[in-house]
Amino acid sequence: MMAAAPTLAAWPPLVAVAAGPLDAGLTYNTLVALAGVATVGFAAGVAGTLALLRRRPLVGDAAAHATLLGVGAAFLLTGRRDLPTLLAGALVSAVAALVVLVFLRRIARTRDDAATAIVIGVSFGAGLALLAGITARGLPGGAGLEQFLLGHAAALTAQDALLLAAASCATVALVAVAFKEFVLVAFDDAFAAAIGRPVGLIDTALVALVAVMVVVGLPAAGAVLVTALVVIPPVAARQWTTRAGRMLLLAGLFGLAAAVAGVLASTLRPGLATGPLVVLTAAAICVVSFAVAPERGWLWRRSTLPGGEESP
Amino acid sequence: MTAVAAPILEFHDVTVAYGRRPVLWNVDLAIAEPCLFGVIGPNGAGKSTLLKAALGLVPVVGGYVRFFGAPLDRVRGRVGYVPQRETVDWDFPVSVMDVVLMGTYGRLGWLRRPGRRERDLARHCLDRVGLVGLAERQIGRLSGGQQQRVFLARALAQEADVYLLDEPLAGVDVRSQEQIFRVLAEVRDQGKLVVVVHHDLRTAAEWFDRVALIDMRLVATGPTADVLTPDNLRRTYAGRVELLEEIGRAVAERGRTP
Amino acid sequence: MNPTDGTVLVADAGFAFHGWSMATAAVVSAACALVGSFLVVRRMSLLGDAIAHAVLPGIAVAVLAGGRLGGPLVLAGAVAAALVTVWLTRVIHESVGLAEDAGAGVVFTSLFALGVVLVTLFASQIDLDPQCVLFGILELAAFDLVPLGPFLVPRALVTAVAVLGLVAATLLATWRLQVFTAFDQAAARAAGVPVAAVTMLLLGTTAVATVAAFEAVGAVLVVAMLVVPAATAELLVHRMPLVAAVAVALAMVGACLGWVAAWWLNTSAAGMMAVVLGGFYALAVLLAPGDGLVARGAAGLGLAWRVAREDWLARIWRAGEEAGGAGEVARPRPRSAIERAAAAWLEWSGVVESRRGMVRLSAAGVREAETVVRSHRLWEAWLGRHAELPLDHLHPPAEWVEHHLGAAMRERIEAEMAAGEADPHGREIPREAGGRP
Repeated sequence: MMAAAPTLAAWPPLVAVAAGPLDAGLTYNTLVALAGVATVGFAAGVAGTLALLRRRPLVGDAAAHATLLGVGAAFLLTGRRDLPTLLAGALVSAVAALVVLVFLRRIARTRDDAATAIVIGVSFGAGLALLAGITARGLPGGAGLEQFLLGHAAALTAQDALLLAAASCATVALVAVAFKEFVLVAFDDAFAAAIGRPVGLIDTALVALVAVMVVVGLPAAGAVLVTALVVIPPVAARQWTTRAGRMLLLAGLFGLAAAVAGVLASTLRPGLATGPLVVLTAAAICVVSFAVAPERGWLWRRSTLPGGEESP
Repeated sequence: MTAVAAPILEFHDVTVAYGRRPVLWNVDLAIAEPCLFGVIGPNGAGKSTLLKAALGLVPVVGGYVRFFGAPLDRVRGRVGYVPQRETVDWDFPVSVMDVVLMGTYGRLGWLRRPGRRERDLARHCLDRVGLVGLAERQIGRLSGGQQQRVFLARALAQEADVYLLDEPLAGVDVRSQEQIFRVLAEVRDQGKLVVVVHHDLRTAAEWFDRVALIDMRLVATGPTADVLTPDNLRRTYAGRVELLEEIGRAVAERGRTP
Repeated sequence: MNPTDGTVLVADAGFAFHGWSMATAAVVSAACALVGSFLVVRRMSLLGDAIAHAVLPGIAVAVLAGGRLGGPLVLAGAVAAALVTVWLTRVIHESVGLAEDAGAGVVFTSLFALGVVLVTLFASQIDLDPQCVLFGILELAAFDLVPLGPFLVPRALVTAVAVLGLVAATLLATWRLQVFTAFDQAAARAAGVPVAAVTMLLLGTTAVATVAAFEAVGAVLVVAMLVVPAATAELLVHRMPLVAAVAVALAMVGACLGWVAAWWLNTSAAGMMAVVLGGFYALAVLLAPGDGLVARGAAGLGLAWRVAREDWLARIWRAGEEAGGAGEVARPRPRSAIERAAAAWLEWSGVVESRRGMVRLSAAGVREAETVVRSHRLWEAWLGRHAELPLDHLHPPAEWVEHHLGAAMRERIEAEMAAGEADPHGREIPREAGGRP
């Protein structure tokens, strides 16, 4: 670990003055962590928009609950507690959960919703059993793994934040490049297949992106609530625009705002996990969007004449 | 000795199964000339399935389908498609122009975005179907007939030589139906094959040059007047299909019929 | 108490400890499995998951307002939260046209987050803490005793039994309606069943069951108890009362086994219960009669064997026909491994007599072969008549349909043909043998 990080006071005077009111309690570390969490929030909103457009908004739920198992397994197998190792384990178990989900649906012919619920419940239970077992045996370094349940962004180091930011930027870059393909498949997969697009591959890429975001979002929101970061911002964004590109951007911004606000709010009181606050911020944005967005918002609709321009 | 040109669209002994259950049995159908071709039959008879099999959207368990003598993968750019309207989520945040531009994606490939040429082509196609004023409107705010015409414009933007349309007139008002058919006739006059899955016998008799009667198997095919005879219609619509369905079930369950 | 801080289980307190804990777990999981059977059949598993999360703020508020954990106020709070969830999801869906999924996702995660914040902020005033909300405090149940007559029983068990009673009474009272709505909602509505009320009742019952489960296994694992036993039961039996009964039985056994496993492995009971239930499901996927993977594989093999056998017999028969009705013909060459095996079996069992490179069909063999050839030629005739197929396209379809025609079907096909009609190639169609299919 590095020595005590420089505080804001050591920064160029302009920045110090501008950030004056925030100086209390904020260090370089915290700022980098905030920046990292901000990119994660943005990327989660972006990935979630694609999932919502494809009508599978909860696709990350099973992956999210399975991450706990991977975190525990990574710790057990390597003895290390650094974030990259634990998140790597989380990614492996997230992907495994999604594979099991596909297997249950296609080969075991389980109903979709039941399959998701089964994977969620059993994988989370297994993860919990693993973590509890680790703590019960008092393995060194095993305490604190439960931060991954509800999120604990304050524990992020600058290096961790950079890793998260890098993954998030890669996700956003991929979406930017292949945006029109994702939208094509989400809108009309029959047409997409007819013109020769590999719909299955594109869907797999989408699910992979969501899985990555779910894993990357663990420090900010925790396993139980990270799907909210992927689901809520796109729903809110849909209220404001009828263009897919703008919806994507807006969802990213909402996700960013929720992540940053949630993390900041959690510094107000020690012991408050970050996850619930991030989600509550996102929910607040969503409620506001539902109320005041032009054309679709409730307040707006109350004031238009019946049979106005609204679509059926 | 002169070579015979390959038919534009050929189904050779095509059997299609959902899971293990056959739904289309041994269809042999070849369309050699450009025309307005109707696929007629009762509901659930496999008409849409035939089209989807041609496009590779459902697996073919016996036989093959060829366009211009080649498998679809080699000539995808020459085949246009208008899927059924119900499959689409009309609340989707795209505009009419966005949807029509999707017709150009086949030629654009993965990385290129639609540019000026594509937009001009899209506007031209919208003009042909009479929707150019609505280019920026979100698709949910259109009537049924307008939505169908957007899909047609998208297919036209594919600049294909064969067009396959799945129930393009379902739930569309009469005026729009006539408009759509006029466009299809124009396309045929330009030397393209237009294959339409259609549900209405009366209009089928008026509009199509040739038809195929489908009821889980090909019952008859040829010029419209020759095919739509009372005898053929009875064979199709009165259905000997229960037999095929029972056998299909037995196959799916790996057993025998009683 | 926090299962992840190292104090999972105190020193073994003997039979009473394990007994009470297992009893509580079993009763709780029985209640959840009972209600879960309906949720699973009605494709409402995720709604069950949503309710399990969303009741938290309701419970927190009720406990803050002076209710005891498990008391009637808390049950009311949970039901209220569940109804709010459903109402909000509906409202979002209608005003926005979003898939139900998305609306439910927004609502239940937000409500759960709210609940966690409430529980954290008022931790001193409630005996819930965020960690316990997530994975329950079953391990402490045996120590929180209340007097019941002359006995001291765990409070959690009392709650659980009350909840089971409530759930069972509600569902049994409305059993027919629930089953009808579950299997065919449209028909139920058409028949005048108040579908909305029936559904609300089911969801309210879910909320109540969730409250009992909360204390035992916490929010997230409630979904395992609701869904997994019911999904397992559905693989094994197919009629509703049986599904519910099997689900309850599996749930109770799974809860007890999970407890024992957790004690043995020194880890969280809630987690191990979910794992054990998952194990049952995996076993059912593999071994269920009919739907299980093993059964399906066996059926596939069975068909392949039958096809190989029938093909072999038919080949010998046709060879005999071509040779002008000769009894003995040269042994054909098998075209695949399974055909080779089938040929060997037929010769070993005497259906085919083999001697010095020549084969002859026994009487039984002739009967079976003629049945196959008959099916084949009847199908060719039928196709020739009813589909626009050229002659050379008739053989392949008949090659695979011939194995799937039963006696009655053959009669039906034959009924459509003129007496003594030949197949489209002009070959005679063998008569139906008496008896054998």
